[in-house]
Amino acid sequence: MGVGHGGPVADARQPYEQAAGLLWASPWLVGFALFMLAPIAMSIYYSFTDYPLIESPLWVGLANYERLLSDERFWHALKQTCVYAALSIAGCVTLSLALALLLNQKVRFQAFFRAAVFLPTLVPLVASSVVWTWLLNSEVGLINRVLGLTGLATLLDVAGLAPAGGPNWLLDSGWAMAALVLVTLWGVGQTVVIYLAALQDVPAQLYEAAAIDGMGPARTFFNVTLPMISPVVMFSVITLTIGAFQVFVLPYVLFNAPGTARGGPDQVGYFYTFYLYDTGFVYQQMGYASAMAWVQAVLVMLLTGATFWVSRRFVHQRSD
Amino acid sequence: MSHEPHHDSLTRREAMSRVGVGALGVGALGFAFFGPRGRKETSGRLVLDYWEKWTGEEGAAMQRVVDAFNNSQSRILVRYFATAGIDQKTLVAIAGRSPPDVVGLWAYNVPAFAESGAIVPLDELGEPLGVRLENYALGMRPIMTHGRHQASEGENAGSQKTRMWATINTGGTLALYFNRGAFREVGLDPDRPPRTISELDAFHRKLVRREGDKGPLTRAGFLHREPGWWSWIWGYHFGGSLFDASTETCSIDDPRNVQAFEWVQSYSRELGLGELERFRGGFGTYASPLNAFLAGKVAMIVQGPWLANILRDYAPGLDYGVAPFPVADGLWQEQAPIGAIDTDVLVIPSGVRHPEASMEFIAFTQRQEQVEMLSLAHCKSSPLATSSEDFFARHANRGVRVHDALAKSERSFLCPRTRTWPFIKDTLDATMDRVSNLRGEPAEILRDVQRICQRAVDRGVDERIRRQRGRGIA
Repeated sequence: MGVGHGGPVADARQPYEQAAGLLWASPWLVGFALFMLAPIAMSIYYSFTDYPLIESPLWVGLANYERLLSDERFWHALKQTCVYAALSIAGCVTLSLALALLLNQKVRFQAFFRAAVFLPTLVPLVASSVVWTWLLNSEVGLINRVLGLTGLATLLDVAGLAPAGGPNWLLDSGWAMAALVLVTLWGVGQTVVIYLAALQDVPAQLYEAAAIDGMGPARTFFNVTLPMISPVVMFSVITLTIGAFQVFVLPYVLFNAPGTARGGPDQVGYFYTFYLYDTGFVYQQMGYASAMAWVQAVLVMLLTGATFWVSRRFVHQRSD
Repeated sequence: MSHEPHHDSLTRREAMSRVGVGALGVGALGFAFFGPRGRKETSGRLVLDYWEKWTGEEGAAMQRVVDAFNNSQSRILVRYFATAGIDQKTLVAIAGRSPPDVVGLWAYNVPAFAESGAIVPLDELGEPLGVRLENYALGMRPIMTHGRHQASEGENAGSQKTRMWATINTGGTLALYFNRGAFREVGLDPDRPPRTISELDAFHRKLVRREGDKGPLTRAGFLHREPGWWSWIWGYHFGGSLFDASTETCSIDDPRNVQAFEWVQSYSRELGLGELERFRGGFGTYASPLNAFLAGKVAMIVQGPWLANILRDYAPGLDYGVAPFPVADGLWQEQAPIGAIDTDVLVIPSGVRHPEASMEFIAFTQRQEQVEMLSLAHCKSSPLATSSEDFFARHANRGVRVHDALAKSERSFLCPRTRTWPFIKDTLDATMDRVSNLRGEPAEILRDVQRICQRAVDRGVDERIRRQRGRGIA
């Protein structure tokens, strides 16, 4: 039906319109089919084969999936990814929320502060990671200089957590994960912008009502602000989870220094996608890598499903 | 109806759009099917694509060799392409049946590429052009060959036939580089570098400098992880090895390897792990003035001849010496030094349309004058059995004769010749970390690594057998 036109002319035009629409969308559709859909479908098949890329795939049934169960490196990578995901997502959500609340205040240079928070997300990850390797240098890095000047380095030293000059961020396995999370937090700008938009969407009358009821800032935040933006928080948790399970560039560049194992000291940053990449392209086991990719996809889907399930209790759905 | 005129104009626009899209579509299809293929046979010359990993000065030097070849004849034109991640891209290109005509890989790639049929053997192709194994230094020859399992070709199931798969255009061997100034400063003779591990340890202790008596480290005598590119070599200097290619068996937990890793760990214990990490954390990257050896923070390191390029650029005044890397007591022989060989190779991918032309180019690069020109520019030793006196005289590395001797030594060694090597190497890198970071006793750690690596090798063997059976070959 030609909705909105209603007449017979519109009805007659419908097939042409559809054809024209499809024709215009065809470059994307063809690209999607060729470069996304087909490889995805092929990777399902490859996951049941021994496929060293050069030679033709050989059917091995469930062998690749069975191998995952006894692959120590797989379990190590999965564990490290989960630890990183938990820390980085918690850190990102908390910091983004705090920054969004601050940036939502009507202060001078508000636009400048908003731009300053968003700006790091525009820097390519490889470039920023290289800069971070210098910032985190234990001897000449800016981070340890700041820790030294503020006395925090001494505090860490006294507590026995780091040497006198500050942590060995990239060489001490105890600090390597902290370094990864720290660098991740540097790029929270996008989440902050989303939270900021959500905060500005909270009806002002709710705050007025809260003020009339005598609520302080903390109670207003937990009883009004947080419930109202909770759908957005849930959305960001889902996207951050997917992102955390796919992280690759950051540990690849940050721990690329010679003399360290892949993924850094004690392979702290040897994440799932890192191992998947190695398996496929370095060890030439594309079949096994495909199986890993599908396990990863299922894990992310399960986690997303779990987030939705949990959200039924904690996420406030607005009915306006 | 008020919208009728609008409707008419829309129809015209739609018609125009469809014509436009159609034209674009036809153009795109035409481009896809009949567009350039990156391989043109122009002016009667056959165009070959050569992928190589070198950029900058090293790439420019190779380009000069390519230019010399192009000017030497009028039938073939070689195009040089500097390519990052060359082994992986080559694999994908071969799998996609659009390989380059010649590729510069790393020595460790040869077994995996040869076993999977990704490269072609060069014996027959090279013979008429004078490219023979005996042209090369003794230590270099095993890099060029590999015993490919013949079962896949239907001959003598399970047996191996050793063939030549690669040539070498610059030689790389690893030696001990030492700071002669630091030696003099602590009363060591700069003309008498350490020969044994015990001597190396003693020299190291003398060369260690701290702020005050027990303050932070300011200089180490020797550090295994500076630069840390070769975590697999230590056992060989104790008389051990990692792999027996004939039986496809790992020997990572061999007592001599255990002894080597105990030696590695002793440095962390002696200097203090936390202090060592802090000290290493301040090292700069290899090609910079903050390089630990150039900056005087480490007095002895293991490195290749190419270090002289960096020394020339960033520390031209540094007085350095070069010697074969020390070995365990009783293993030292002046005439047969022990050292790792780590170099680049040239191969012809499977599926190229003109393998003879590719070989002709490779043969040109293997001429002594070309090899020496390239080796001088790259600051490497020559992989050939003989080198001119002019080559040694003009070489920027004062220790080039040491590297030459290592290349010719029958006791020099290569990384294990197995397609599982990338996995084993990564595992050994992690092992180096575990051992150095005092995560356990070396014997225990190496037992664990042996189990993991042998399982990976066995899996590779199983896959090969399964593949052979799949082809109906018993």
